[in-house]
Amino acid sequence: MSEITLVLQAIGRGESKASEDLLPLVYDALRRLAGARMAHEAAGQTLQPTALVHEAWLQLVSAGERSWQNRAHFFGAAADAMRRILIDKARRKSRLKRGAGQARLDIDDLELAQTTPDDNVLLINEALEKLEREDPEQARVVVLKFFGGLNNQEVAENMGLSLRTVERQWACAKGRLFRWVRAQH
Amino acid sequence: MSASKQVEDAVFFTALNLTDLGQRKLFLDQACAGNPGLRAAVEDLLAAQGDAEHFIAKGRAALHLPTEAFASGMATGADEPTRLDEEIGTRVGRYKLLQRIGEGGCGVVYMAEQEEPVHRRVALKVIKLGMDTKSVIARFDAERQALALMDHPNIARVLDAGATEAGRPYFVMELVRGVRITEYCDQNHLDTRQRLELFIQACHAIQHAHHKGVVHRDIKPSNILVTMHDGVPVPKVIDFGIAKAIEGKLTEHTLFTAYEQLVGTPAYMSPEQAEMSGLDVDTRSDIYSLGVLLYELLTGRTPFDGKELMKSGLDQMRRTLREKEPQRPSNILTTLHGTELKATAEHRHAEAPKLISLLKGDLDWIVMKALEKDRARRYETANGLAMDVERYLLNEPVVARPPSRLYRFQKLVRRNKLVFASGAAVSLALVIGLGVSTVLFLKEKEAWREQARLREEAQRSQQRENELRLQAEAKEKINQAAIYVSQERFDEADQLLETIKTLPPKPSFDGVNAYRSVGEWLALQGRWREAANRFLPLMQIDRLDEWRVVTLDYQACGAVLAECGDRERYAQFCQTAVINYGATTNGDMAGRILKTCLLMPPGKDLMAQLRLMAEVADQYFAPIPEKDFPEWAVIHLSLWDYRQSNYGQAEAWGQRLAGRGKGTALEATARVIMAMSCYKSGQAEEARGELAQGRALIEGKFKAGLDHGNGADGFWFDWIFARLLLREADGLLGA
Repeated sequence: MSEITLVLQAIGRGESKASEDLLPLVYDALRRLAGARMAHEAAGQTLQPTALVHEAWLQLVSAGERSWQNRAHFFGAAADAMRRILIDKARRKSRLKRGAGQARLDIDDLELAQTTPDDNVLLINEALEKLEREDPEQARVVVLKFFGGLNNQEVAENMGLSLRTVERQWACAKGRLFRWVRAQH
Repeated sequence: MSASKQVEDAVFFTALNLTDLGQRKLFLDQACAGNPGLRAAVEDLLAAQGDAEHFIAKGRAALHLPTEAFASGMATGADEPTRLDEEIGTRVGRYKLLQRIGEGGCGVVYMAEQEEPVHRRVALKVIKLGMDTKSVIARFDAERQALALMDHPNIARVLDAGATEAGRPYFVMELVRGVRITEYCDQNHLDTRQRLELFIQACHAIQHAHHKGVVHRDIKPSNILVTMHDGVPVPKVIDFGIAKAIEGKLTEHTLFTAYEQLVGTPAYMSPEQAEMSGLDVDTRSDIYSLGVLLYELLTGRTPFDGKELMKSGLDQMRRTLREKEPQRPSNILTTLHGTELKATAEHRHAEAPKLISLLKGDLDWIVMKALEKDRARRYETANGLAMDVERYLLNEPVVARPPSRLYRFQKLVRRNKLVFASGAAVSLALVIGLGVSTVLFLKEKEAWREQARLREEAQRSQQRENELRLQAEAKEKINQAAIYVSQERFDEADQLLETIKTLPPKPSFDGVNAYRSVGEWLALQGRWREAANRFLPLMQIDRLDEWRVVTLDYQACGAVLAECGDRERYAQFCQTAVINYGATTNGDMAGRILKTCLLMPPGKDLMAQLRLMAEVADQYFAPIPEKDFPEWAVIHLSLWDYRQSNYGQAEAWGQRLAGRGKGTALEATARVIMAMSCYKSGQAEEARGELAQGRALIEGKFKAGLDHGNGADGFWFDWIFARLLLREADGLLGA
């Protein structure tokens, strides 16, 4: 039985500490999976976060041990993992483009109109950190949707919110994140 | 979280959902009343909304970038599959390909044989594109459990999925030998009822899948096949779970060409599917596609032409699906060419006009409800749609309704209710107290008030239109009457004028003259009542005539009314005269009106009202030197004094006037007034003398025959005045 399955079962039993244990496991799994896939995939193929997460889920949890409640935990943790992975990726790419000398993207130097998609991810992440302090629920919706690739229905199930609330939080979050970013540039 | 943020979010989201900008403004006015900071913040969010969407979308695009990010340098050369067909007879997984049975938008379908664990024939669909096979299968696997739960006679079961040796994904399904539903209906000339019955079965199948948590996402005729089962046609829905499994490709990166290859036609795609904005497609998307299917079953075409949508490009296609209202089914039939319409009708075992009238109404609304752009306004379930169709077949009232203006308002209110009923509204209400419910109440009230106002407006404009039409007709008639008058065909002119109920506000001079001339013609024949009917309209209209003409008309009108003995109408006439001319500063004019209002003994009120005019007239005539004094114009002075019981004064004026116009209406009138004044002041003898002289003049005139007359000897109405006062005097002296 895999470690992940054990953790998920622990979560299922209501052991709160187990949730914290999940993230590094999921993170490693996703990394491993992404790397392993490369051997077979053509260049130019795109990697959908959702697909990756689904795949990780399918590989790590055998069919007999599925528990849909734990699936929600898994996807939440996977979204966080994806966030880290994607932010790392964006930083690396951004750095490559801007020359090796610069250790980290200096957000203050960016002109908003000229940002690359990767820059946008970094800017969004930065703003998201602010939003997490101000409105954790709204920020969580962003993490699940934006980084985890979950749809509204899945987010609603995952967070125990109504679909309508998810729609509202997402709409408002987009406006707020953009406003913060814009205010700085 | 701060309360102000919560309010801001709630107001923003509510405003965002009010797509009607007027409504949005109204809402913001109310929600942000007294809080300009909130207003500014929300306006800012709304204004930046487009940019924000773009910004986030751009960020999301980064998440779909090439996978080299995960393992740079590991990419190998492309190995795009070049051949699409699998060889017949070869094995794919544990299936042996027997025969190629079809090719759809996204794949090639084979009949195949499964040997283990059971020996059976199946359909095997190989997806065309060189796709991300693993993730397709992964997605399929994620859905597999739900798919396995589906068990319905109208659903073809999806059994398995895997990858071919060339790396393409394939799906294995229950083998269905049938033709697409639209084809089956046309080939067998099914009438509308039979088509609807098949459609209902398809709805039930979709409902079953939805109930098990499976959304089809690609409902179209080629995915609903009709097979014969004991001679009864049975629709079978195929390809469940497949669209979802390959959807990653649809939603990410969305190159239009890829889309075309995958889906074939966007004609069945719901607006939210076309948006491809995210993965958020739910059961209501299937309802939309069922609506398109119903549309096609009924009319032979889809609401939007698939090829045209494709040609128009992705953005235009999205816009069309999002914004353009499709024609109603009955409407689109009327736009078909003759032969096309005939063929469509024949396929449905009906004649064209009958088919159109069959669709008009309930079926139109059922289809349009399923095709609502806003999925919240579609049928909530496939069952709901099926039930409405059943209601139609049973001749019961359907739930779908035509979008009347009232209905649209109801929808507006309902829509807003939805906005407010969200969790946001609840917390907002907690924070700002009565705010939301008040706003909701006001909005609803506002909508109804607006509705009432529009109804009133419509009525008013209808009345107005009616009025204008009548006025135009009247103008025409009056002009014709004027022509009759010029030809002295008064009788015909009179009959024509009699039919006019609504007067034009500004008739021509000739038109006014027609009324006047006919009135006079009637008066000279002693037809007083009819004459009054011709003169009275002249009092109502806005006249361009000079005051001398106008006051002549007043005198004529007053004369005939008094002559009729119709006290009530005469009193009304006096009121009109006072209202129109009571404030005049023209002494001559005041005198004429005054005289006309004193023909019958006036009440106290009228006397009080006339006093001002009497003073104006007095001031006008008093300073005129004796040699220039227009005695013929001042009979009112004598009459006014008499009515005021200044008998001495009245008599003095009478003497002066009677001496001036020998043998005229003026003398006759003056003598009659003198007679009454003398009598009142106790000079009965003198009174009788004056009366006899006056009577002689008046009776002589009427015996000779009344004519139009002139200003010097007296117009016809001057003689009427005289005779009216003579009668009054007879009554007085005889008593």
